[in-house]
Amino acid sequence: MTDSRRFFDDIQVGEEYESPGRTVTETDIVIFAGLSGDYNILHTDAEFMKSSIFGERIAHGLLGLAIQAGLFTRATQPYATLAFVALRWKFKGPVKIGDTIRVRARVTAKKETAKGDRGVVTVERTVLNQRDEVVQEGETDLMVERRAGA
Amino acid sequence: MSQPSKFYFEDVVLHGVLETPAMTITEAHVALYAGLSRDDPRETGAVPEILPLCLTTGLGWRVPQPPLAVLAFMGFEWNVVLPVRVGDTIFSRSRTATKRSMREGGVIIEEREVINQRGEIVHKGKFTFLVAKRPA
Repeated sequence: MTDSRRFFDDIQVGEEYESPGRTVTETDIVIFAGLSGDYNILHTDAEFMKSSIFGERIAHGLLGLAIQAGLFTRATQPYATLAFVALRWKFKGPVKIGDTIRVRARVTAKKETAKGDRGVVTVERTVLNQRDEVVQEGETDLMVERRAGA
Repeated sequence: MSQPSKFYFEDVVLHGVLETPAMTITEAHVALYAGLSRDDPRETGAVPEILPLCLTTGLGWRVPQPPLAVLAFMGFEWNVVLPVRVGDTIFSRSRTATKRSMREGGVIIEEREVINQRGEIVHKGKFTFLVAKRPA
């Protein structure tokens, strides 16, 4: 069977991808609160949040991060990723119930490692909402396999 | 009715350390996380790297002090040191590294480590929060 994954050698600095959109629902927030145990009122108390600067409940920042990680896998042919090694991330604005987010990504660096069979690919990511406002942005370092014999 | 107590900027002790209770990461956590995010595990038994990070936020609520009056989670840096597998039991330890007063609230930078049942640091990083000051 042919391996359709993209290896360190195949990925080029400057490549850009854009994912499909995904609407964040109340259900996503409730499930994430249950999974993570983060029941902060920002995400769970609709009445309290009416009088907040947001006017309503907002999604957990890390829920947005998790959703963009999934969207990224739908934005491009999968990398031969061995591990997620580092993240540098900023939360720029709220994600509200009903917002549709997508991720735009660009490969900014490639670094070989001491082990010859893998390298680190740095991907800059911007999470946008339906109004093209940046809600989250950051960089991720992925450890990606090299093609055997490359 | 009195409001539940909160931990304000003034209450945060510089270099103060907090340890959370531990929890075992199960197949159910991974399935729920993957179903929600579509950030799938790379192989059976592997835990997607973002999941322990998400679990530490909930563990952070289970410490013997009132919740921090967070106005905004501004950002973080995170490094994955070792893989986490289904069945591992993790807890987190955090330390206030920086406290900077601003006109509206203050910025707290917290160093956080995730530690497994063998005492190994598996993930670590720094979190930046904007925290409310005690109402006058």
